[in-house]
Amino acid sequence: MSLARRKAWRLYLVEAIMILACLIILLPILIMILGSFKTSAEVLDFSLALPKKWLFGNYKLVFEEGNLMRAFLNGVLITGVSAIVNIVTTSAAAFVLTRRNTRTANALYLFFFMGLIAPMSTITTIRVVQWLGFYGSIASVIFIYAALNTAFSVFLYSGFIKSIPKVLDEVAFLEGAGMFSVFFRIIIPLIVPVNATVAIMVFMSVWNDITIPLYFLTDSSNWTMPLSVYNFYGKFSRDWNLIFADLVLTSLPVFILYLFAQKYIVGGLTAGAVKG
Amino acid sequence: MMKITKRLYSYYMVWPALLIYCIFFVLPAVIGLGYSFTDWRLDRATLHFNGWDNFRTIFTDDTLMLALKNTLIFAVVTVVGKNVIGIALAVALNAKLKSRNALRAIYYAPSILSIMVISIVFTPMLRADGVINKVLDFVGLHSWNQSWLTDPSIVILTVCAVSIWQSAGFQMAIYLAGLQSISKEYYEAATIDGAGGWKSFMNITLPLLLPAININVMLTLIGGLKVFSEVFVLTGGGPGNASQVVGTIILRSFGEGSWGLGTAINTLLFVAVTIISIPLLMFMRRKEVAE
Repeated sequence: MSLARRKAWRLYLVEAIMILACLIILLPILIMILGSFKTSAEVLDFSLALPKKWLFGNYKLVFEEGNLMRAFLNGVLITGVSAIVNIVTTSAAAFVLTRRNTRTANALYLFFFMGLIAPMSTITTIRVVQWLGFYGSIASVIFIYAALNTAFSVFLYSGFIKSIPKVLDEVAFLEGAGMFSVFFRIIIPLIVPVNATVAIMVFMSVWNDITIPLYFLTDSSNWTMPLSVYNFYGKFSRDWNLIFADLVLTSLPVFILYLFAQKYIVGGLTAGAVKG
Repeated sequence: MMKITKRLYSYYMVWPALLIYCIFFVLPAVIGLGYSFTDWRLDRATLHFNGWDNFRTIFTDDTLMLALKNTLIFAVVTVVGKNVIGIALAVALNAKLKSRNALRAIYYAPSILSIMVISIVFTPMLRADGVINKVLDFVGLHSWNQSWLTDPSIVILTVCAVSIWQSAGFQMAIYLAGLQSISKEYYEAATIDGAGGWKSFMNITLPLLLPAININVMLTLIGGLKVFSEVFVLTGGGPGNASQVVGTIILRSFGEGSWGLGTAINTLLFVAVTIISIPLLMFMRRKEVAE
């Protein structure tokens, strides 16, 4: 057999293996999706069998019983505002830190970078939030998420801003522009793709998180979707069809975001992680 | 020029980020150090300095030691699993397969889902009569059947497996980017020299993938030591305390009102993460430069 043909066969083999192996990923997801349309008895075999009758009503029931609209709006509020706060503060900080490039600036950068490594101190964070007098509120959670994502965002922005030639700033300064107008007129337009990446990364991690709401949102009416799913799971532990429908609904927002924003996720990961 | 730079780029713009970061992340860590040495409790009005008592409790309590051990097991197993599988997926899906884009999307998909969703979906599948054992029966591996979530000796490994299932695709995405930055010419030269696939993988792919390996090992290691959600939803630390990790123990101490002890465990985690990751970070940086 010629080398070319042997290579072609090898590719077919790899392709076959990869397609077969992806069943490991698809199987649980399909069981969840198919199960969400079944009756509570039919779902219990947790199989890939199609529902005898597609019960779309499960979704309606879950939507009402699970109080999902409330949880969805809480999630949008928390993720949206913390992403905005994070983007505004960290892009500005990264801009000054990378441009100054002095010893203090580098030390501050390292200080931020530490946050990528260090685990958060949960119980004492509660204490600090109590001192500030807003423990249990959505606002406290927004600030905590903004703080938790600061390190990662400063890291991403710095890597990107370094690649913008400083000459651009200097020309503007010569023309009499101040720091703020350089930042808003030159840097901001150039970092739009990074903004998208940071927004999506923050959104994904905050939307999916359960730890912070568990500790900091004492009132269940403030909970986000993943945590209210957990509550629902405890309450309806017999009705797996409803649980699955709830899980599908919880995953839907991030899935839609993923479909539209795929290139920013992978692009941003690589810009920050591999080249930075 | 230096002076002008300093005047032009004022620290005003650093303040907001610095303030949020310091108040909600650094300050709790710093006061946590202090609280670790106190008998801070929910049901006590005043708190007292109690020296190393909390740490003595941690190192003499079986459950707490088990939690430390499980956390280490989880970190090591998931670092190896996520990265080996991540590299394998990336290498396979970097080849010119017809279904490459679809396969990449499928393997990446679990990492966009909440660990809450994934853990709940896996719970019925991992039961003794669940789908996973049925599939094993189907392919003739009945002897591999396990009570995945109720056998204390394997439960932590089951949690590792679910975590690897979720995030290997995320690691794959970073490795794919690393692979795409490797010039094809190296492989062509290797083929001319008669090197086979395995040889060029070991001598070209792996060394040139080091920056990506570096970042992925760090990410998975730090994430692994901070593990909480997977265990919380899949097992709640059980059966008994067989799958407790540091993260779930902190929640438990918080719930019991032993805040001083909980904070001490957190401090221990902080120290462990720093001790393990900073030398590793420096070591890998050096190796990368040497390339």
